[in-house]
Amino acid sequence: MRNDRRDGDLFDEMRLRRALRLDAAELPPRIDVAAIAARARSERPALALATLVSTLFAGVAAAGLVGLVAVAFLAVAPALGSDLFAAAIGALARVAIPASALLSLAAEPTVPVATIAALAVAIAYEYAQRRELVREVTS
Amino acid sequence: MAASVALRFDTRVTGVASPVLFADAVRDHQDEVFGVALRITGDRDAAFDVTSAAFLNAYRAFHRYDPARPVRHWLLRIATNEAISYVRKRGRELRRRVEVEQASAIADPTASPDTESVAREDRARIRSAVSLLPELYRVVIVLRYFNELSVEEIAHVTGRPASTVGVQLLRGRALLRASLEAAR
Repeated sequence: MRNDRRDGDLFDEMRLRRALRLDAAELPPRIDVAAIAARARSERPALALATLVSTLFAGVAAAGLVGLVAVAFLAVAPALGSDLFAAAIGALARVAIPASALLSLAAEPTVPVATIAALAVAIAYEYAQRRELVREVTS
Repeated sequence: MAASVALRFDTRVTGVASPVLFADAVRDHQDEVFGVALRITGDRDAAFDVTSAAFLNAYRAFHRYDPARPVRHWLLRIATNEAISYVRKRGRELRRRVEVEQASAIADPTASPDTESVAREDRARIRSAVSLLPELYRVVIVLRYFNELSVEEIAHVTGRPASTVGVQLLRGRALLRASLEAAR
């Protein structure tokens, strides 16, 4: 009966709290603040030195990498530049040939201008003829 | 010499509302910091190491401590992170295998029915079950039932959202219940 009750009550929050509480035998020895300060003080120069060394190493590595990239770029740049220039000229030529034909067609307005001129002359002639006819009738 | 160094460092953080000295913080909270380390690592020697490391880190970072917030939570946060790092480094799987055997041994049904030994057995069984929990749930269970923190305080200490902490507490309790029933 008691076991049943214990089993039913096996997991409740109060029991969990009691179980997790520190026993007297578990209590730690007192912590010495002065020892912590001394340890922090003794480890600080080593830490600072390690930081300095790692910073220097990172700086040298970064400088080396930048130098390497610069040298590689200078070596590759002329060939790369000429290739790019040739490619640009080729692309321009490919575009310019069909474009020039279109432009020349647009630059020759002979047929439309002549047509418009002939039309204008015809209109002017017809207008003049009608004015002559009206003058004859009224006079 | 070291004490004078400590005192000089102690005076660094002096908030307008409540000046906090490092030595006071250590004196007032060392048992709690050790306890959280012990319950998370499940190992007394490890708890000593974690406590020492936590207070050393706290000492180094004490100038960054915000005096407007409780120093208890700040120390618990450092200790919890130290304990989690320790547990991860040690390798949880190996530890679990060992403790499963211990838990099974504790759950021996032929144990003495004496009231005191039953209570001791229960405590040991619950502690083993807590130490078997996945770290995610173990941390919130320890902070809730050992440190008596609220869900919001646990969220602040662990840096997890309060809603997540609530869910993790529920799941942690369910896992504990299942573990205790299985070990019976």
